[in-house]
Amino acid sequence: MKVAKLTPTREVAPNVVPLIDIVMCLIVFYMLVAKFGIETGADRAGITLPLSLQGIQLTDRGNTIDINVRQPAMGDEPLVSGLDEQGRPVNIPVAATGGRTLVDLLRFHRGTNKDFKVNIRADENLHYRFLEPVLIACAEARVAAVNFATRQP
Amino acid sequence: MKLKVSEKIHYESGPNMTPLVDIIMVILIFMMLTGTFAVGEWYLQSNMPMTEKGTGGTSVSNVPLDEPLEIRVETIPRIDPQSGLTVEVWVASAGRIQVENDRAALTSQLDAMRQKLNAANTPTSRIQVVISPGRSTRYKHLVEVYQAALEAKLEKVAFSRSR
Repeated sequence: MKVAKLTPTREVAPNVVPLIDIVMCLIVFYMLVAKFGIETGADRAGITLPLSLQGIQLTDRGNTIDINVRQPAMGDEPLVSGLDEQGRPVNIPVAATGGRTLVDLLRFHRGTNKDFKVNIRADENLHYRFLEPVLIACAEARVAAVNFATRQP
Repeated sequence: MKLKVSEKIHYESGPNMTPLVDIIMVILIFMMLTGTFAVGEWYLQSNMPMTEKGTGGTSVSNVPLDEPLEIRVETIPRIDPQSGLTVEVWVASAGRIQVENDRAALTSQLDAMRQKLNAANTPTSRIQVVISPGRSTRYKHLVEVYQAALEAKLEKVAFSRSR
């Protein structure tokens, strides 16, 4: 019986298979973990969330918007930001100033959605007097539920 | 003069991977630049955004009212015995109990209160915790008390107007 001769092989290029393996793993990781095209209005740069051991991960963010609350340098009006009617991040006045207020904006986003929820992202050192008007606005806009964003240890 | 190199035979060892690697790299860079992560964040859920008098936001006539359990929370300054610096701590009081800056102690006290209410035929689902903060109470201290209520297996937690 004739046995085929093994011909010597030659490397003509670097082996890219491990590179592709790793890059594919990275792509799959990004596809699973990262969120694309979802603008919730969260301002992750300027707010230090309070630490908590309790809490849940939100899987469905379709019915939610984020409201950022900061303490002002002076005055009694909290600095509130979120998304406007067109989905652009804006500062929103809480007190009635003749224009659109937080209640109006929440009512707009809520529409007829009874499951509409608000995620409050407030700074850990915020005084309650600045958070209170935001909660009252949520109640007036008949928001179904409020979630308080916290930081995992 | 003829070069010897040009006479060498070129071996194909497999399909050309270069376009594939190019495209994958472009996709990877796109995802790294546009993707956003919310890793490290989670949420405390409240289904009762705000209560006026500690009895719940909506009033339904044929449903029995919840049993309110009010927790007053204040942020107060204290001098740290180790550093000598002034630090802010929280003080929570509910009924006759008062706890200062100790979440585990508050949890056990609230748990005992819940068990007493359960023994008095009030199920946990009908206990409405109302956190009643002062105007200058820090948000992080409210979160501590909120967590203590959750750890004591109290399900319904709401905030009242500031005192």
